[in-house]
Amino acid sequence: MAASKTITRPLVSVQFLDGDMATDGGSTVPLPDVLRAAIRPDIVRFVHASLSRNKRQPYAVSKRAGHQTSAESWGTGRAVSRIPRVPGGGTHRAGQGAFGNMCRGGRMFGPTKTWRRWHRRVNINQRRYAVVSALAASAVPSLVQARGHRIESVPELPLVLSDSVESIEKTSSAIKILKQVGAYDDAEKAKESVGIRPGKGKMRNRRYISRKGPLIVYGTEGSKVVKAFRNLIGVDIAHVDRLNLLKLAPGGHLGRFIVWTKSAFEKLDKVFGTFETPSELKKGYILPRPKMTNADLTRIINSDEVQSVVRPINKDVRRKVLKKNPLKNLDAMLKLNPYAKTAKRMSLLAEKQRIKTKKDKLVKKRSPLTKEEAIKIKAAGRAWYKTMISDSEYTEFENFSRWLGATQ
Amino acid sequence: MATVPDALIWEIVRKNNAFLVKQFGNGNAKVQFSKEKNNLFNVHSFKYSGLANKKTVSVQPAGKDLSVVLATTKSKKQNKPASVSHRSILKKEFSKVAKSVINQLTNIICFFQVSDNYYRPDLKRAALARLSVVRRSLQVAKSGPKKRNRQAI
Repeated sequence: MAASKTITRPLVSVQFLDGDMATDGGSTVPLPDVLRAAIRPDIVRFVHASLSRNKRQPYAVSKRAGHQTSAESWGTGRAVSRIPRVPGGGTHRAGQGAFGNMCRGGRMFGPTKTWRRWHRRVNINQRRYAVVSALAASAVPSLVQARGHRIESVPELPLVLSDSVESIEKTSSAIKILKQVGAYDDAEKAKESVGIRPGKGKMRNRRYISRKGPLIVYGTEGSKVVKAFRNLIGVDIAHVDRLNLLKLAPGGHLGRFIVWTKSAFEKLDKVFGTFETPSELKKGYILPRPKMTNADLTRIINSDEVQSVVRPINKDVRRKVLKKNPLKNLDAMLKLNPYAKTAKRMSLLAEKQRIKTKKDKLVKKRSPLTKEEAIKIKAAGRAWYKTMISDSEYTEFENFSRWLGATQ
Repeated sequence: MATVPDALIWEIVRKNNAFLVKQFGNGNAKVQFSKEKNNLFNVHSFKYSGLANKKTVSVQPAGKDLSVVLATTKSKKQNKPASVSHRSILKKEFSKVAKSVINQLTNIICFFQVSDNYYRPDLKRAALARLSVVRRSLQVAKSGPKKRNRQAI
């Protein structure tokens, strides 16, 4: 902040008009600090919402409306609702409901009162902050365009005209001047936009609506410019000392297109002060300083100071590994148990072997016998039978019974 | 002034501005378009925004035959609306026009205003896409017998 004392202020060129003396003093003026102040749409919106209420006039329904009858409720037992009913007879009104907001001829719900809080007080510093912000935004072409102003052919923003403007008296010359500096497109847009207001406002003296054109700010008290410009639709005129937020940010939207006269522009530093010196007209007021000297995010990110301390970009992407079931996936199993390979192979071989032997056995059993074998089997059978017969012819059984000690 | 950073302008302009076109309510079917000239895709986003960027590109029909105006903003003339854009009218055949668009946005050697040119390489695709669409819109349908549609038997 302290360094800004030495900063040379940017210059704004003054637009000269036809018929001006070529030697009308310097063709540039330093940019006043107000136009470099912080831009705070939130403050502008809030202050605008509050200030725009201050023009309201109280209204209310009659205090006695709907209560000018001596209605009483009939109570229960008459098979009608217990709303107060107008007494008497002989007229249709008798027996009708009264008072309630649901009744014909009753009072409204929550009757409006003249003592509603119509106006809002706004802290003076906030008011000034809003004005300053709105002025700063009016020097940014994108914001002025974003508000809808036609500034494509304007030579420079902020647009400063030479002081000869302040001496004009006729609207025709005012139009000529606007055309010269490319500001007439915007006035034209406002002129063509005139339409009839939708809704009840039509019958309340707010019949026509139109867009806003440029705002002319002049610096010499009692100048005739006011009269020259006042018949142009959408074009507003203001004195530098009396800049009004409602004109600087209509609808609470930042970025009104402002046309300055040179004397008005030069007076801005006096009216609003600078970042160092307090204002001459607003007691003890110093412009709100921006919170950041450099709010350009990309520049901060790309600055050497930041780039020298940031970590390098992490380029190796680590992806999650899918967990594999070692009981189903052999590779996973081998990682856990290298012997599994041998074990598996052996079990496979053993299984193969087992199947083979079984098959052989079965084949052997199912296939018909060869001749030699059949002969061999038959011979064996015969031999066995022979021994059995010869054994059965054994006669010396007594010896056995004696051995056994049986008593036969 | 020109010292207002892009990011701040975008924050101010993002919620509402004169160019914004919102469609299909506020739900997730919402689309936001933007009408400003130097928005290549006419999409409401920081990257393509013509309001919030110091360097913007626009491709517009030039009004004569197939010629197209390629305009880039001069970043040093930000607060001079009348002379911000560098306009060049391109009226050659499409491939040459496309090449000069690429040159102007990305290439280092360029016959236009910027010599060491890293103007907006990120907008190259968008600029070419817009160029081809603009060109197609300018083309007049050829007279004579229509081409037979071979697919429709």
